[in-house]
Amino acid sequence: MDVKETVRLWSVRRLYGTADRTVRALDGVTASFHPGTLTAVMGPSGSGKSTLLHCAAGLDRPTEGKVVIDGTDLGELDETGLTLLRRERVGFVFQAFNLVSALTAEQNVALPLKLAGRPIAPAEARAALAEVGLAERAGHRPSGLSGGEQQRVAIARALITRPAVLFADEPTGQLDTKTSRQVLGMLRDLVDNQAQTVIMVTHDPVTASYADRVLFLADGRLVDEFTTGVTAEAVAARMANLEAVASC
Amino acid sequence: MSRALGLAAGTEATVLTVRGPETFRVSGTVDGPGVYLSDADAAALAEGVRVIGVVTEPGADVAAVASAVRAAAGAQGRVYTGEARGALESRDDERTRWIGMQVLTGMTVLSAFVSVFVVASTFAFGVAQRRREFGLLRAVGATPRQVRRMVYGEALVVGGVAAACGVALGAVLGPSLGELLVAAGFEPVGFEVRVSAPPLAGAFAVGVLVALLGVWSAARRAARVRPLEALREAAVDDRPMPRGRWIAGAGFCALGVAAAFGAAVAGPEGLVTSGLYAAMAMIVGVALLAPAVVPFVARALTWPLNRGRGALGMLVRESALTAIRRTASTATPVLVTVGFAVLITGMVQTTAASFAAARTTTIRTEAVIMPDGVPGLSDAAAAASGGESALFSALYEANGEALSAIGATPALLERAGEVRAVSGSPAALGGDRVFVSPWLAKERGLRAGSALRVAFEDGTPGTLRVEGVAEGVGADVLLARDTVRAHDKAALADVAYVARATPVPPGMGARPADLDTYAAQADADEDRLVWTFTLLLVAVSTAYAAVAVANTLMMAAGGRLRDLRVLRLSGATSRQVLGTVAAESALAVILGTGLGLVVAIPALLGLRSGYGDLIGRHVPLVVPWGLIAAVAATCLVLAATAAVLASRPALTVRERPHVRTGVTVKRRRDGSEIPR
Ligand SMILES: Nc1ncnc2c1ncn2[C@@H]1O[C@H](COP(=O)(O)OP(=O)(O)O)[C@@H](O)[C@H]1O
Ligand SMILES: [Mg+2]
Repeated sequence: MDVKETVRLWSVRRLYGTADRTVRALDGVTASFHPGTLTAVMGPSGSGKSTLLHCAAGLDRPTEGKVVIDGTDLGELDETGLTLLRRERVGFVFQAFNLVSALTAEQNVALPLKLAGRPIAPAEARAALAEVGLAERAGHRPSGLSGGEQQRVAIARALITRPAVLFADEPTGQLDTKTSRQVLGMLRDLVDNQAQTVIMVTHDPVTASYADRVLFLADGRLVDEFTTGVTAEAVAARMANLEAVASC
Repeated sequence: MSRALGLAAGTEATVLTVRGPETFRVSGTVDGPGVYLSDADAAALAEGVRVIGVVTEPGADVAAVASAVRAAAGAQGRVYTGEARGALESRDDERTRWIGMQVLTGMTVLSAFVSVFVVASTFAFGVAQRRREFGLLRAVGATPRQVRRMVYGEALVVGGVAAACGVALGAVLGPSLGELLVAAGFEPVGFEVRVSAPPLAGAFAVGVLVALLGVWSAARRAARVRPLEALREAAVDDRPMPRGRWIAGAGFCALGVAAAFGAAVAGPEGLVTSGLYAAMAMIVGVALLAPAVVPFVARALTWPLNRGRGALGMLVRESALTAIRRTASTATPVLVTVGFAVLITGMVQTTAASFAAARTTTIRTEAVIMPDGVPGLSDAAAAASGGESALFSALYEANGEALSAIGATPALLERAGEVRAVSGSPAALGGDRVFVSPWLAKERGLRAGSALRVAFEDGTPGTLRVEGVAEGVGADVLLARDTVRAHDKAALADVAYVARATPVPPGMGARPADLDTYAAQADADEDRLVWTFTLLLVAVSTAYAAVAVANTLMMAAGGRLRDLRVLRLSGATSRQVLGTVAAESALAVILGTGLGLVVAIPALLGLRSGYGDLIGRHVPLVVPWGLIAAVAATCLVLAATAAVLASRPALTVRERPHVRTGVTVKRRRDGSEIPR
């Protein structure tokens, strides 16, 4: 392939030491994510999806292995360096608790730029909100926004720095079907129209069907990958199989 | 005065003078204070003229007058003008001012200390409540440094506003405080507070600084929040206590115990202040250890609640245990205050008791004669009862520096028993042969045989020969009694030692007393001042603790209104909800009180045994339990009130918009209808 990867993981291992045993949340994952693609990471609960996302996004450090984002090896950065990289090159949307409750939607969106000490035109944050269809909600605080609106504000905030990659951990996990579709449609448009790279964790086959590619995780290992024929039915069938194996 | 005593011109009046009772004829009345004698009579009774005032006409050239007076006085005297006249302040006033300085310093140090504490515990709690917010900020690109600066920034704003309010309040209340200090005897009459800019600016700066210091540890903790903590559902802080904190806590406790022993040796002068430092170190130590200790003690303390049948007991126990941070944050200020109150009051009272005990041990006679309503004993009073007394006077060095002096006889020293010769034999005391205190010997490099050039109270210059060094004199120089009397006609004695209690003739201004009575009363004035000072310190720390406790509970209540609503919805009555909340806060206060006692009592016991060893006698442990109970009760009432008030919004269970006769009635959060 001639296109350079936006995110690349080499044999990433993440162990959690608890009092009685060690949990291998990630057990040697190697994967790469190309620009302008939407990838879904799927797997049963506890298979290491979130851990993979956190390691790939520089929110957490792998116990072993290497992560490169946009040409930068995360292992070589200290805490501040990692923070700056997240601020400049990476965007996130979590399942919930994405917004600072004391700030308005507009202020939340402007936050990464403010933290970077960049001068920000008021229009910039408003434009970002308009892009997610929330121009008229700019002055509202999170407590006055619905779940779907909060997630859209979170997406606007994640995109304001024009990041190389957008990570989303079950972004529709707490939304109803209709709102989910809206949010997913928006992510799809970003990929198609602006060549945004998006990596999304989900355990819902319908959500995964919006992706170009689906990676399947089980017990911290990559066990399968769909690059073509990503339909809800196919994904659901593969998942059912994985879950059956997991429950044995 | 003539009217009050019924004296008219021509009648005879007997007054008590430094020579004993003397009779004078009243020659007339004046509208000034006091009694006026002829120069000759006055000279016979006074120590001589030490100060001559020069009254200038309005508009006179003070500098010219001063230099003229200087020329006239020559080497015989000094001339003071303007501010320099402060050097002539009476030694009593000077001492009172010194005490006042101690009081104000003590209160300032304590306030700053407690404020740092309160700010630290409030912000620690705030940061713990906001971990998820800090995690989110870290995730979206705030560096640890930015998070830290943000917390400092909040402290700066809050501290700045609070300091400004405090400064304004201080400027308004300062003059009244000055009057209070004079009334309590901490400042001499005539002391007044003038409000000027520099102290106010200083106080403002200190206030802001205190806020920044207090927030130091909370800011560091906020900066250490990892970005992933944004994803946690609840802000549980279940990490074990860091090793550094264990070490620091234990270190401060050890330091506190050491300082308590130091206070025991410090003597009455530095007792309250060194006691203060001991208590502060001890309390910092225990407060540092609190997060490790509180859960354990809370579990033990609430164990019985689990056995009862009521739901309330179970609720109180479980929520106190799960919200261990809230419990600890409420208990810590109470711990600080109760611990502090027990330590400082216990130290002061135990020390007073031990000094009294020490005095009765050293005195070798069975009884004493004490002044009765007069400033001191005249020689006539002591002689009338066959007692021997020491005289208090002063000596002046060439530079005008005053040295305290005591005149005694070898026989008297034998009876009083307090003086111990480090070198030389007290029997040699007499004429110009004197003993000096260890510090004076050290300061002036005096040894047996050295000469000490001084002026006596009456202005006569003289050279004293140092015979040796003596401890426990109670003054800088120990002279022969006759030498002091020769140069100071007005010197009086505090006490006269008599072989056994003998009645004193009336009119002498003296009364006999047994040793216990004397021991108890000898320092009564001083003890009263020290006690007032102590109470002030306790009041200050209690007030701060009350603020901190109320603050924590208010903050905590905001975060748990939802829980309380759930409780209400699952069938609890308002009363039960408020009862639970009040009982929880009471539990935390009781916990803090218990821990405070645990901190203070061992230190006090140590202090007592230290004193016991020092004087070889049993010293009672005196703790004013009533006062301690009042401190704890204040905290208890405030905590319960704050918790209940802050939880009230949870009582009105919010109603959903509901349908009434086909019309949707919209309701505000507080339940009132929104007009259509
Ligand atoms: N902070 C942690 N400490 C200990 N174990 C953890 C921690 N985070 C995740 N794990 C464990 O790692 C495994 C993978 O977790 P996660 O990545 O959250 O799974 P998923 O998102 O797929 O449900 C699980 O077994 C989980 O219990
Ligand atoms: Mg997950």
